[in-house]
Amino acid sequence: MSNANAVLTAQAAAYIPKDEDFRLKNSGEELGRDTNFAGQAYWKEVIVRFFRKKSAAVGLILILLITLLAVVGPMISGYTYSAQNLSQKNLAPRIPVIENTGVFDGSETISTTTGSKKTNGYFDKKLTNVYYWFGSDNYGRDIFTRTWMGTRVSLIIAVAAAVIDMVIGMSYGLISGYFGGRVDMVMQRILEVCNGIPRLVIVTLLLLVLKPGMVTIIFALMLTEWIGMSRIARAEMLKLKEQEFVLASRTLGAGNFFIIFKEILPNIIGPIITQVMFSIPTAIFTEAFLSFVGLGIPVPQCSLGSLISEGYNSFTTHPYQIVAPIIVMALLMLSFNLVGDGLREALDPKLKEM
Amino acid sequence: MKKYILKRVVTAVFTLLVIILILFILMKLMPGSPFNDEKLNNDQRAALYAKYGLDQPVIIQFLRYVGNLLHGDFGVSYNISKNTPISQLIATRLPISVSIGFAAVAFGALIGLLLGLLAAFKHDTIWDTIATIISVIGVSVPSYVFALALSYTFGYHWKIFPMLFSRAQLVKSSVLPSISLSMFTMANIARFTRSEMLEVLDSDYMLLAESKGISGPALIFRHALRNALIPIITVLAPLIVDLMTGSLVVEKIFAIPGVGSLLVNAIQSNDYNVVIALSFIYSAMYIGIMLLVDILYGIIDPRIRLGKSDGEGGGRKKLRLARKGAGA
Repeated sequence: MSNANAVLTAQAAAYIPKDEDFRLKNSGEELGRDTNFAGQAYWKEVIVRFFRKKSAAVGLILILLITLLAVVGPMISGYTYSAQNLSQKNLAPRIPVIENTGVFDGSETISTTTGSKKTNGYFDKKLTNVYYWFGSDNYGRDIFTRTWMGTRVSLIIAVAAAVIDMVIGMSYGLISGYFGGRVDMVMQRILEVCNGIPRLVIVTLLLLVLKPGMVTIIFALMLTEWIGMSRIARAEMLKLKEQEFVLASRTLGAGNFFIIFKEILPNIIGPIITQVMFSIPTAIFTEAFLSFVGLGIPVPQCSLGSLISEGYNSFTTHPYQIVAPIIVMALLMLSFNLVGDGLREALDPKLKEM
Repeated sequence: MKKYILKRVVTAVFTLLVIILILFILMKLMPGSPFNDEKLNNDQRAALYAKYGLDQPVIIQFLRYVGNLLHGDFGVSYNISKNTPISQLIATRLPISVSIGFAAVAFGALIGLLLGLLAAFKHDTIWDTIATIISVIGVSVPSYVFALALSYTFGYHWKIFPMLFSRAQLVKSSVLPSISLSMFTMANIARFTRSEMLEVLDSDYMLLAESKGISGPALIFRHALRNALIPIITVLAPLIVDLMTGSLVVEKIFAIPGVGSLLVNAIQSNDYNVVIALSFIYSAMYIGIMLLVDILYGIIDPRIRLGKSDGEGGGRKKLRLARKGAGA
C-alpha cells in the first residue's frame, strides 16, 4: 500500500504544469465530441415527431392555407366586403371553368308551394360576365370576399384573445405555484370564484354594458379564458420547482422572478403552447356564438359568426349563403384541434395518445 | 371528508355572492331610473323611493336584493311580456330546457361510451379510425352547426322530423335538438373512454384476470369497464355545464320555448331584468353542478381530497380535465 502511494507521489512530483494547461479550450478540434450518441436538439425532434403524425401536418397546412386566404382572399375577388349591389342579390355560386361541368354554374333549386323548380339568377338577369364564387347575399354582397374578411376578423380576435390569455394565465399560475403557501391559497381561492362564474354570463353581461366591437369581444374572451391556462402553468410549476436546476440557480443568487421566467418558463413552454392551440378554437366558437346572439361585431363588418347568423335567416331558401362560412369555421376549429393534439404528443412523447 | 365538503360549499356560496354583487352593480349601472315620469314632483318621487327601499344605504339595498333573488323574486319583465313576473316566465320554460339537456347528455354519453369501447377493443383497425374521426369532428364542430345541418336535411329536405319544436309532438320534435346538443358530449366521452380503456386493457390486473381464465363479457364489464368508468364519470359533469352555452343557440334554431331562447330574446330586446335573472339562474345551476362534481371527485379520488391533486399522479388527470373544460 505504502509502496503504491510512493509511486503516485513520485509521479505527481515529476509532473511540471505547462502554460497551455491553463488555457481555455474553446476551438472545435480540441474538444472531444461523442459522435456515436450525438444529442438531438429538442425542438428538432419535436418537429420531426409532429410531422410524423399525418393529421397534425394536415391541420397545420389547413391553418396556413386559411390564413393565406384570409389575407389575400378579399383582394383577389374584385369585390369589397361592404359594397352592396341590390340588383344582384341572392345569386348562387358560379365559378368560371367549373360552371361548364354543371356544378357551381349559378343555378339553384327553389322549392315553392307548387313544387321545386330550378332557376339561374345569372341568366334571368343576363349577367353573363358576373361571377360570385360563393354566391351573393341578401344585399348583393360577394360572399367569397365576406367569408375571408370574416375569417380574418375571427382569426384576429381568436389569436389576440389566446395570446393575452396565455400571458395572464401563465403568469398567474406560475406565480401562484412558485410561491406556494399563503400566496397560493389566496390566489387559488380567487381563481375558484372566477371559475365558478359561467363564461356565458360574464361575456353576455359585459357586452350589454360595453359597446360591441372587436376590442370588447377580445376583452370579454380575455376575462374568461385565462383560468385553464393558469391551472396548467401552476401544475407544471409544482412539478418543476423542487428540481435541482432551480436549487442551483437559487444558490447562484438568482431572484424569484428570474427563476420563474428565465429558468422554469422555458421548460414548460410545451404544454402552454398546446393549451394556446386549444384555446383558439374556443375563442372562435365563443365569438361565433356571440354574433349569433346579436352581441358580436357591428355591421357592416363581419366575422364568421355574424356571417353564419346572417345566412341562418335564409338557410332554407338559399342554403349556399351559410355553407361557406360554416365550412371555413369547422375546418378552422378542426385543424386547430388537430394541431393541438399533434403538438401535445410531439412535445410529450411519454404521454399516451388520447 | 367533512372538512373537504365544507370547504367546497363555502367556496360555492361565496362565488354565488360575488355573482350577485356583480349583477347588483350592473343593475345600478344601467341607465335611467324606474321613476322617470315628468309628472312626479320631488315629494312623490321620494315617497316612491321610500316605498321600494331605494332611499336606504347601498348595503341594505344589496342585502334586500340578495333576499329577493333567493326567494325567487326577480322582478318583472319590461319588454318581452310586459309586467309578467320573471319567475313565472322561467317556471314554464325551465323544465323544457332541462329535459332536452338531459336527453342530450344521456344519448351522448351512451353513444360516446359505445364508440369509445369499439375504438379501444378494435384498436388500430378501421373501426378505431372511424370512431376517432367521428369524435374529432364532434369536438371541433359547434353544436349549432349540427343543429342547422340536421334541421336542413332531416327537417326541411326529407321531412322526417319536424323543423320546429311543438308541444303537440313533444318527443318527435325533441329528437333533432337533443342529437345536435349531444354531439360534443358524445365526442368527448368517446375520446376519453378510448384512452382510459386502452390504459386499463394494458394493466397488470387485466392480465391477471385473463390468466385466471375469465373471458368474454365478464372480463369486459366486471374488470375493464368498471375501472375505466370512474374517470369517465368525472368528465361528464363539466360537459353538462358546456351544454348550457350550446343550448342557447340550438333552442333559438329549433324555436324551443326554453330558458336559452328566452335569454337570447332578452338580450336582443334589451330586457335587462330578464337577462340578469337568467344570469343568476345559470350561475346558480353552474355552481351547483360544479359543487356536485367537486364532491364526487373527492369521493372517487382521495388524492384530490387530500390536496395532492397537482402532484405527479393526479396532476395529469386534472390537467386533462382542465383542458376538456376549456375546450368548450
